[in-house]
Amino acid sequence: MTVYQGNCLRVDLADRKIERGKTPPNGIGARSWNSVTLLNEIPAGIDPFGPENVLCIGVGPLTGSQFIASCRFIASAKSPLTGFLGDSGARGFWAPSLRWSGHDQIVFTGMSDSWVYLFIDDDFVELRDASHLVGLDITETTTRLHDELGDPDLEVAAIGPAGENLVRYAIISCNLARAAGRTGMGAVMGSKKLKAIVVRGSKPVKPVDHERFTKACAEYQQNIETHRQFESRRKYGTTRILDALAEMGVLPAYHYRSAVFEDLKHVGAAALRRDHVVKAKACYNCNVYCSRYNVTQYSEGEGPEYEAQAGFTVKCGNADMEVGVAASNTVNRLGLDCITTAEIIAWLMECRHEGIITDADVDGIDLSWGSNEAIMKLPEMMARREGIGDVLAEGSKRAAQTFGDGARDLTIEVKGLELFSADPRGIKGYGLMNAINSRGGDHYRGEPMIELTGDEELAKKRVGNPNAAHRLLEDGKGALVNYAELLGILSDSITVCKNISNCMDAVDFEVTAEAYSGLLGKEVTRDDLWNACAHVSQVERDFNVREGLTSADDTLPARFKDHPLPDGPAKGTRIDIDRLVKDYYKEKGWDK
Amino acid sequence: MILCDVQKCVGCRMCEVACGDFHFDAVSPALSRIRVAKIEEIGIDVAVTCVGCAEKPCLECPTEALSVGDRGEIVLDEELCTGCEECVNSCPIGAIGFYDDNPLYCDLCGGTPACVMICPTEALVVEQDLEPSLEQFQEFEGIPAQKRVNYAKIQAEPVREKWLAGWRLGP
Repeated sequence: MTVYQGNCLRVDLADRKIERGKTPPNGIGARSWNSVTLLNEIPAGIDPFGPENVLCIGVGPLTGSQFIASCRFIASAKSPLTGFLGDSGARGFWAPSLRWSGHDQIVFTGMSDSWVYLFIDDDFVELRDASHLVGLDITETTTRLHDELGDPDLEVAAIGPAGENLVRYAIISCNLARAAGRTGMGAVMGSKKLKAIVVRGSKPVKPVDHERFTKACAEYQQNIETHRQFESRRKYGTTRILDALAEMGVLPAYHYRSAVFEDLKHVGAAALRRDHVVKAKACYNCNVYCSRYNVTQYSEGEGPEYEAQAGFTVKCGNADMEVGVAASNTVNRLGLDCITTAEIIAWLMECRHEGIITDADVDGIDLSWGSNEAIMKLPEMMARREGIGDVLAEGSKRAAQTFGDGARDLTIEVKGLELFSADPRGIKGYGLMNAINSRGGDHYRGEPMIELTGDEELAKKRVGNPNAAHRLLEDGKGALVNYAELLGILSDSITVCKNISNCMDAVDFEVTAEAYSGLLGKEVTRDDLWNACAHVSQVERDFNVREGLTSADDTLPARFKDHPLPDGPAKGTRIDIDRLVKDYYKEKGWDK
Repeated sequence: MILCDVQKCVGCRMCEVACGDFHFDAVSPALSRIRVAKIEEIGIDVAVTCVGCAEKPCLECPTEALSVGDRGEIVLDEELCTGCEECVNSCPIGAIGFYDDNPLYCDLCGGTPACVMICPTEALVVEQDLEPSLEQFQEFEGIPAQKRVNYAKIQAEPVREKWLAGWRLGP
């Protein structure tokens, strides 16, 4: 059934033609429409940087409504980093503005021959010259557009130098620090010579059945405010995770060589607030306001979130939090994915530690553990493709070809996408999520957070198996990851923040069905949404299989399978990923 | 009237959402009588609405459609209003909205402002007897959004000074 068919703007960058149409009929919002569009419109085997790639930007019917944190847009295209389906979401305030402009999806096709930006002011849409913006970082691009267009309320989603230079893990960013970070969607935007998308929207989102909609919103809000992590998420945001992961013994210290980081107290959430945080920040309509603004001696900016915080400290063996925070600000300005950037730096440090490469291989930059020089300088070189940065801009899987087999064996990626700052050996559900999800090695696709809580009741309620709540057990993880994956698809389609929906278990298919029913004024059931999400999962699998994906790609780096965790609370644990993947396939009804 | 604590405002815009929902059962910044000025490059967010200023330049309405109500709020006589937008342009801090040919004034929601009720950080407070002067903002030229940012920037100066002098939120 058609739950909601939105308005689609089709922008042909080659002919500079803009047309209006409808989103695919069989979807429920953002990611669901985008993935169907990619499957329908991208021929197999195309160059992600070629004119045949299609870049979709989607929001959903709930975006910009009263539904808390309905704030994300999803950018999708064939990924230049993985060669498979790429997509990534960004929070902040850009997505609601697109929705208020009366558009639910933008589909960019072709390539422009000169730099342009797209300007949307409700119904008025045009491509404009962006040649004067080339080379500017994301902050400069945004403030320049605000100034020259004379309206500081305009929402800007832009790429930085990294996107312009086709760095394969470049981001699209809005509100200066809100990134669609994974799988290189900013590089696809750069390949199309599209520097920014500027939006002003004023059209109201008005629920058809206001009472029913408001009731669903209130239930959802209640789920958030009664959650036991509500206050700590308000105070620390995702940075609270660092201490939690340390207790579980799954920190990736010194590039996964240890689960123990001796300088934890210098880089944890409390130290961050004590030394650098000056205020809390929020995304659109969010009462958790889990983001923070930092000031350091080097720079200031919003963040870091857990990934930049841990990536530029623990993972690189760096105890200088201030350098880590500054690196976070730097990658945000340059337009680099903080996860991939930090992973590459830490990987190089391990290669140097193992004697596989020397500092001379990276233009003389000091690659010893914790090297401030590496953490501060390498992102600039990657974004501008300077020196060795040109090699590193290709991502770790491709860069390893330059450094040899030894270096390749130490990479931590799945399907070409670098992993997060945690060790999957001690969190089996997360390990499985990283192995199977459609965009490659990534945790946020659908966080199976239940396994971190030990909450057996919740595990029983969601997947019928209390063992799923225990991170070191392999039992029940296929079902858990399938549920988390579908909840992730739901969240990416209704555009809510997964830190709230998945991680706080505050959104489920039932409450969303109520919200959709109220908003749209027609009966939308839990099963309608569940089936739509299961369909999207299959669509994404079909896209990837068409691009050559096999079950051999659904795995984890060898060290997690073959080598037990060397120390810490989860010492001795390995992950039997083949068994877990089989369990997941069974859940899906796939034979391979 | 409603004032915003610059240090506490996290820029979530829940106030805008609540305002639109209260008055129109719908959400859009264009429907809101309170607007958050976001200056991302310096980390500043300030919710701006009518502060009941001493000067009240909006009252110089060519059709005398505006008056001051019991709680100090501006009251619009829709019969007299021609939608000329003079009041919108006269406000030195850009606190008057305009939608569907009508100016939008903070009406304090009849006494219990929805924005103050929803604000998750208690950054918004009602100050009944305050009539702050906005004289220093009157020279500034621009559209309402620019005026709000100008106002927010000046409001934020002491907060920014504090940050740059080393003040932190603390663990």
